[in-house]
Amino acid sequence: MYYVAKVNSEMCSTYKCNMCTLYCPEPNTLMFDSAKVEGREHGTSWVDEDRCKGCAICVYVCSDLLNRDCIEMAMVTAE
Amino acid sequence: MSVDIYKINPEFRDIMPKDILDLEDNATWGQEKRTIQDLTDKKELLEEHSLCAGCPEAAALRYVLTALPKPEDTIIVNSTGCTSLMFPHIALHTVHSLFGNQNAVASGIKRALEWRFPDKVKDVMVLAGDGATIDIGLDYTLQSFFRQEKITTICFDNEVYANTGGQESGSTPKGHVFKMAPKGKVFDKVPMWELAVTSGCQYSIKLTASAPKAVARAVREAVYIARELGPTYIHLYTPCILEIGLSASEGLWEMKEQDKDRFVSFKYVSPEAEALLKERKKEGLL
Repeated sequence: MYYVAKVNSEMCSTYKCNMCTLYCPEPNTLMFDSAKVEGREHGTSWVDEDRCKGCAICVYVCSDLLNRDCIEMAMVTAE
Repeated sequence: MSVDIYKINPEFRDIMPKDILDLEDNATWGQEKRTIQDLTDKKELLEEHSLCAGCPEAAALRYVLTALPKPEDTIIVNSTGCTSLMFPHIALHTVHSLFGNQNAVASGIKRALEWRFPDKVKDVMVLAGDGATIDIGLDYTLQSFFRQEKITTICFDNEVYANTGGQESGSTPKGHVFKMAPKGKVFDKVPMWELAVTSGCQYSIKLTASAPKAVARAVREAVYIARELGPTYIHLYTPCILEIGLSASEGLWEMKEQDKDRFVSFKYVSPEAEALLKERKKEGLL
């Protein structure tokens, strides 16, 4: 049982910032998918949960530095 | 990859892991104009690493690798430390030297490559911690500057020997106490960025890894200058969050704090290097 980052895609796609993907210390983990889902303005960031170590720097960047609150830490489940 | 130094045998393509396929399909080899934005959606040259969660050093290495103008023709010489745990996972040539003699090894490699491949541009870069660069390897580091070796030296400064439990280093600020240095540092921090200027570096910069674009820019500038003119030096603050008692998410905050304190920006560019950078900027490479 441990926490990993989870991106709220709906909120994330209202901005076009990519900042979390730059600050994540893990390579190839927090990525940006530029493909737009219908009805959304931009693409969205997404997390490869198998690679995430749960440091929460992305939460600091998104919530504390940018005031956007699009990422939260969530407990990994078996599903 | 768009350069043919590494190709997957078509017959084995269907059994190759996705990570390897991505290196061929979605990496940024052979493109002179690699940018920091490649980190968002391209395959990185650093596959993964075994460093702690939230380690600023790992983030800094991502920025360094994404800024290399020619990764396929770059050799990185590194030294013992946390960074050496990442080098086995990098898709480019690296050499692990003895602790401290990384600049001497890099000098030899650079000279051999110039002799062996006179028509090709080969970048040699040194990447080591503060213990290897400033304490144990200070002699080798400064001597390579005196000799005007055309190599880029990057020091990941965490101000302590973090890998071995927290002994003070020459880079530790005065008065700081660590687990294995309970009395507190008696002397001032060694101003390596200033020593680099005095010793003949064409380019010397001090910054923290809190701004990815600034780090990437510094690396590109340093590599372009080292190719043509002489030694370049980058002093990068990458705190060890464990040794200074921060939680995993606080590394970035710590670097931002030090941007205003011990790591206030310092930059020296020699007049010749300044002219060269203007040229590269005109060519659209910076």
